[in-house]
Amino acid sequence: MKREKIFYLLILIFFNNSSLNSQILNNLRSSYESYSAYYIDDSKTGDFNYEDRFRSNNYLNLKSNIGASWNFELQIESYLPSSLLNYSPDFKNTGISTFNLEYINDKINLKLGNFYEQFGSGMILRSWEDKDLGINNSIRGLNFKYRLNDKISLTSLFGQQKKGFKYSKGFIVGLDTEFDFSNETNENYTFIAGLSFVGRNDDQTSGTTYHNTTNLYSARIDFSSLSFYSNIEIINKSKDPVMQFGDFYDDFVEEGAAFFFNSGFIKNGIGVDFTFRRLENMALFSERNAFGNSYNQSIVNYLPALTKQHDYSLANIYVYQSQPNVSFVDPNLIKTGETGMQLDIYYFLKEKSFFGGQYGMNLALNASIWNNLDGNFDFVNKNYTTNFFGNGEKYFSEISLEIRKKWSSKLDNIIFYLNQFYNKKYIEEKFGKINSNIFVIETTYKLNKNKSLKLELQHLSTKDDNKNWSAFGLEYNLSSAISLYVSDLYNYQNPKQDKKIHYYNVGGSYSKGINRYTVNYGRQRGGLVCTGGICRYVPESTGLSFSITTSFF
Amino acid sequence: MNLNHIKLTIIIVFFTQSILSQKNIPSIYIKTIEGKSINSISTLNKNGLTIYSFWATWCVPCINELDAIHNEFDKWKEHNVKLVAVSTDDARTKRRVRPLIMGKKWNFEVLIDENQNFKRSLNINGIPYTIVTDGKKIIYRKIGYKPGEEKDLYEFVLKNSIDKN
Repeated sequence: MKREKIFYLLILIFFNNSSLNSQILNNLRSSYESYSAYYIDDSKTGDFNYEDRFRSNNYLNLKSNIGASWNFELQIESYLPSSLLNYSPDFKNTGISTFNLEYINDKINLKLGNFYEQFGSGMILRSWEDKDLGINNSIRGLNFKYRLNDKISLTSLFGQQKKGFKYSKGFIVGLDTEFDFSNETNENYTFIAGLSFVGRNDDQTSGTTYHNTTNLYSARIDFSSLSFYSNIEIINKSKDPVMQFGDFYDDFVEEGAAFFFNSGFIKNGIGVDFTFRRLENMALFSERNAFGNSYNQSIVNYLPALTKQHDYSLANIYVYQSQPNVSFVDPNLIKTGETGMQLDIYYFLKEKSFFGGQYGMNLALNASIWNNLDGNFDFVNKNYTTNFFGNGEKYFSEISLEIRKKWSSKLDNIIFYLNQFYNKKYIEEKFGKINSNIFVIETTYKLNKNKSLKLELQHLSTKDDNKNWSAFGLEYNLSSAISLYVSDLYNYQNPKQDKKIHYYNVGGSYSKGINRYTVNYGRQRGGLVCTGGICRYVPESTGLSFSITTSFF
Repeated sequence: MNLNHIKLTIIIVFFTQSILSQKNIPSIYIKTIEGKSINSISTLNKNGLTIYSFWATWCVPCINELDAIHNEFDKWKEHNVKLVAVSTDDARTKRRVRPLIMGKKWNFEVLIDENQNFKRSLNINGIPYTIVTDGKKIIYRKIGYKPGEEKDLYEFVLKNSIDKN
């Protein structure tokens, strides 16, 4: 609190200087977001058994600059009277969430305070903000970037990671270099290479067989031509104790590794992309004790599930989550990581062809398969060896086809089919395996220039778990500003009579320019809610929610 | 309570002063689709308006909007307008960007804002999000897309391009 007072005082002193004051105020950009909910008791989804029926998350971001070289950013967050259900309890009351001061010129970029950074594809380090998931793992410290020339750049950082309004006890240090070997005379080819290092020091846990510091090294190359591209990344992680049943043991300390390969072929009207990834004991937290926390706090590196991110609600019931960790739950449930691949094909059927019709037709095919690593596991002695190639138990697979067709200037259709296999035992460490088929048809009809109607019909069929679901959504855009919707998800074949619940929602939105207001009343399905490949469990709830997003620029 | 008053005052002062002022596109490093770092300023259209459309491969309304613009873009280009489609896909989905735009035959310039630095610097709090600039100066901002809204954007472009000529 004391620190906060000093901070506000400094700001006031600063703003009393009139010439700076006017410059800063003239250059000010701000944004405000507010998400609130009032939860009610519901005979179907259960009583609301927590404190504070009314909950609200609020974010105010302010940015400004003096000249072209000095930038400031301040974010104030308020969770009053408390944060929305299933946000980390570290998000409470009002306070300064992030603050930074930045100096930039042609060669240098120096940031002091909270910063967001990513090395390569983020597998070794990523700090970012995702308000939907309650993630803000910005690092507070020093971030220095130096561009030697157009070919070579260097990034270094040091600091502690934010968790709620507090900071992790562990320290992170990082270094990344990028070399652009592309030939300037031939713009058809690019060739970029990068080397990264990340060290995490945590003295909160100690053992005789491992160090406080865990180091990660990564090398990557990226090649592109007009019709072909390919990239590879290799990571090694030094010895780190494996968490078992909430504790660390001197005799269970392992190295980690990651291998990533991606390649694609592109030509006008067709695109093919293939990815292979293998992860072994790769999770890294800024505090070892944060391992596996359900709020995704203190994550240092980003290891998302490499599967298609679905838009339709029934396709988001059995969502794969990447399995980068070592986990010895019982002799029949041992995981050491994941290995698998994903394929995407996009194809455009030409206008005025037999299948293409007047407007052409878009096809998108996606397939992925993910498995446990192949190896020898010794449950009693907590020991294992893995093979680079080969597959263990299958975690997940899916194949989907999406067809987008415009029939006329008024009528559009999307047809979507998805076949999924989800190994609930291995992914969630529960019971069962689920094979399902999902079918969706979406129709949009334009009534006139700004009025349109969208109908979405979905069905999920499975003989496993909670059996069949159906869903529909109807959206009516009655002007460029106002939109209304009604939707329902219904688990009509749930074996338990009282779980045959209609998860209905009604609501609307008003948006004009950069202001957007939404209101929704309905039931939230419990279980995994996933955005950007990261998931968290949310309890079932019923209530009224509303949001405001706006910015002043 | 005292502290809250100070906070409130600061916020109100900030807000009332800021609304009227004109703002520019910030200078920030962003990646091309091939992975090269370039400065955001170098992506501006030198002879007319620039439209920045923030999208992602998983965002259905974003793709609907860009598809709708793509279908009529030959007409738009007559007014010297340039469209830059800024993908906010992160490591999970960014590999899908290139095959998707090729599969759809979009001929927009595409940038990759993988850790959302460009998006954050413009205070964008949701996609789809459209910004139009005249030179460096931002003259239009809009969040969201509903079918038919591309016509409103076209009218805006038409009006402001005529003013220019």
